[in-house]
Parts: sequence; C-alpha cells; structure tokens
Amino acid sequence: MNKYFQIFKISFQEEFTYKINFVMWRVRNVFQIIVTYYLWDTIFSAPGREVFGYDRAKIMTYIFTLIIVRSIVLSARAVDVSSDVAEGNLSNYLIRPMSYFKYWFTRDIASKVLNLFFAAGEFAILFVILKPPFFFQTNIYVFLSFLMAIVLAILIYFSLLFIISAVPFWAPELGWGSQFLVIIVMLEFLSGAVFPIDILPGVYQKIVMSLPFPYMIFFPVQVYLGKITGMSLIQGFVISIAWAVALYLAMRYVWSRGLKEYQAFGR
Amino acid sequence: MKKLKYYSKIWWLLTRNSFSIVLGQRVALLFFLTGKVLRFSLFIGFLYFLIQGTNGLAGYSGNQAIFFFLVFNLVDVLSQFFFREVYRFRPKIISGDFDLTLVKPTNALFVSLLGGADAIDFFTIPPLIIATWYAGSLFHPSILSTLYFVLLIVNGFLIAAAFHIAVLAMGIITLEIDHTIMIYRDLTSFGRFPVDIYKQPVQGLLTYLIPVGIMITFPAKALMGLVSGGGILISMFIGVLALFLSFRFWNYALKKYASASS
Repeated sequence: MNKYFQIFKISFQEEFTYKINFVMWRVRNVFQIIVTYYLWDTIFSAPGREVFGYDRAKIMTYIFTLIIVRSIVLSARAVDVSSDVAEGNLSNYLIRPMSYFKYWFTRDIASKVLNLFFAAGEFAILFVILKPPFFFQTNIYVFLSFLMAIVLAILIYFSLLFIISAVPFWAPELGWGSQFLVIIVMLEFLSGAVFPIDILPGVYQKIVMSLPFPYMIFFPVQVYLGKITGMSLIQGFVISIAWAVALYLAMRYVWSRGLKEYQAFGR
Repeated sequence: MKKLKYYSKIWWLLTRNSFSIVLGQRVALLFFLTGKVLRFSLFIGFLYFLIQGTNGLAGYSGNQAIFFFLVFNLVDVLSQFFFREVYRFRPKIISGDFDLTLVKPTNALFVSLLGGADAIDFFTIPPLIIATWYAGSLFHPSILSTLYFVLLIVNGFLIAAAFHIAVLAMGIITLEIDHTIMIYRDLTSFGRFPVDIYKQPVQGLLTYLIPVGIMITFPAKALMGLVSGGGILISMFIGVLALFLSFRFWNYALKKYASASS
C-alpha cells in the first residue's frame, strides 16, 4: 500500500512542475463553463420560464454542479496510457512489482484531488461573480446517493479509458484517433457535459441512457438535483453498476489479449 | 509576383507531403473524419432540439442560430486546414528542430504557419461551404450583404491568422504552456453562438479585445443585414491591426529564441 501512496505523492507533486500549464488547463475548463452558463442564462432570462422540465435555478445548479463533477470524474492521467503502449514505454512498467491498473488509478486519484481543489475555488469565484440561483442539496440520503453515483462514474470512466487506450496494441497509429472519437467527441456530448440529456426527445433519450456515457456526468448531477428518485433511482444505479462491472471485465479481457500482441514498438 | 509563385510552390510541396503522411494512415484518417463529422452532427442536433424547445435564441430564429454555428465552423475549419502546422510547432522548439527551419531559404513564419495543410479538413470543407451557402440563401440576402459577408469571412480568417502567429510566438517565448493553441480554440468556441448571448463586459471583450465576435458573429450578421458600413470598417481595421501586432510579436519572439540543440 505504501508504494501506491508514494505514487500518489509523486503524481500530486508532478502536477505542479509546470504551474502555468496547469493554470491554463483550469482556465480552459472555466471558459467551457462560461459559454454554457451564458447560453442557458439567455434561454432562462424571462422570469419564471420553464423549459425541458428545468427552471432557472435547476439549470444553473446543473451547470455549476458540472464544475465539480467534471473535475472529479473526467480529470485523469490515464489518458497517457495509449502513448505508453504505442511508444513501447509500457515495458518499463511491466517489469515493476506493481499492478499497472492500480498505478494509473492512483495517479488518477491524485489528479482528481488536485482538480477538485481548484474546481472548488473556481466554483466559489464564479458563484460570487455570476450570482446564479443554486439549489443546495440538504437531504443526506440524496447526497449519499450522489456520492455513490460519482464513485461508479469514476470506475466507468477509468475502465472505458483503459479499453480505448488498448487500441495501440493492435494499431499503434490509432492511439490518439480512438481517444478523439470516443473520449473527446462521444463522451463530451453523450455524458451530459455539454447539455442535459433530457432535452432530447424521448426515443433519443432512451438510446443515450442505455450507453455508459450519461452515467459519468448526467446521472450523478440528476441524482444531486433530486430529479431521479424511487424506482428510477434504483434502475439508474442498476444500469450504472452493470456498466461498471461490464467495462471492468472488458478492460481486463482486452488488456490480457493486448499484452499477448504487445511488441514494444519504439524501444 | 516572383516571390508569390515561389511561396505558392513551397506551400504546394509541403501540403503534398502533409497529405501523403495522412493518407498513408487511412484508418486513422477515418477515425478523425468520423469524429469531426460526429461532433458537428451532435452539436447541430443539440441546437435543433434546443431551439425547438425554446423557440429561438437571444432574439434569433432557429435558422439564424444554425447559420451562426455554420459560420463558426467555416472560419474554424478553414483556419485548421491552413494552419495545422501550428499544432506541430512546440515539439520542434523543444527538440531544437526549429533550427532546421531557420537555416532554410524560406521565411520561418511561413513554414511554421502554413507548412502543411490538414488533409482531414480537406474533406469537410466542401460540404460545409455548401451547407453554409444553403443556410445563408434562406435569408435572401442582397448582393451587398453577400459581399460584406465574404469580406468579413476573409477578415475573420486574417484575425485567425493573427491568433495563430501569436500562438507561435508564445511557443518560442515560453515552453511552459503546452496547449496555447487549445486556449485559442476554447476562446473561439465562444463564437458557436452569437456573442449577443453574453452579457457585458464579456460581450465587449469578445467583440473588440479578443475579437471572436468580429471573426465569427459579424460575418453572419452581415449576411442578415444586421451590420452597418461603419461596423464593417471597424472590423476590417481590427483585423489588419491584429495581423500587424501579431507580426511584431513574432519578430520579437524570434529575437528571444534560444535553440535547445547544438
């Protein structure tokens, strides 16, 4: 356990090596939130307006909760795994007395802790400047459900990232391409990070909700808002857990097959 | 004229090389092309359903909102097509390979900025132009509005060039910023929607200081007949000024360049 704690510490310190780089990364995140905020602020500018089942307070809470949820779920160092595989650097880790999955999971946790710290600061600053109506969840059971949804979201994202990062085992030139298609494009839109999934018509909502993406952002935020309760909440958790387990098993299988193909190109 | 021919030939050679590299990896090309088309389609879908539910955006109709997004894509994709080499610049500085660019008998800025068009965007530009033309034709613009539109699109492209040159210059001056070009992309993403949706002072900043509004919103507004002659003149002035300042910044940065290799 101590070795993973050391990895956590080193990874945490590594984030500060290029301070301006890190600050600009956070600035980029703030830009994305500002665009989304002003879009919905314009739509809900008329007092008492309700659209897609949201009022101004709920949609602003959705957007501001995104700041925290994105920083916890989507900040991950494991995006570098595909280049490790493509460039042959994976060999360095295979000979070490530690689990490659646990190594990257530990590094991910370090990144999430740091990003959460800064996201909380950004949340506070934007809250003071923009003064949005915000719904603070006071029901402890709902809040605990929210935390559980976040944990499942982290596990889903980690497994998905590793599965995509395994593509270079068979096609080293597709490392970045596969990440771009699945993580940058599909995940951004279908997770609820750009817009709430429930603005889509019923049939499209059902299709998207059968995928793992909305359980990374949209589902946890809806749980926090108290919009998913009772049987819908249980159903959501069942699907989320099913995806977490399925993707974990797929990750182990794909990696075991990939290691048999691994030829350390570039070494 | 002789220099224009010379640099046109250089651009053609560099672009041909760039295209050969990308077309040699067809599966990767397919992944990226699919990703770009999917991103565009998903965002258009989002806009469509959004406007269906809200009956307009900031006083603009559904067609107008979609046209703003198409113009954003046109300026964005054209910039990415021509200036793709900027994304490959920072590794050259870190490795010292920029020295090899400096010793060649071509302008270092030209090679660093335009040294290899993007083959992927080559496929997306024609359908985008057709979609923009079709969406714009729905407003039945006058010849003058169309002329203003084309003029401001060119102006927007010049501002994009100025941004990219500034990114190159920053890449020389500081090695700490990995993704300066992505910060530019995030700034221009404010232009996906008309800048009217942003409240002051953000709207003012985006229009005149970081001229995303002039780059993207103004051309679309010009076609709709919503920009005055004075507004167009100011836009052109800001475009030329941005380009002038970016050249000065590049020249300053070159003097600060210290090679990483011997």
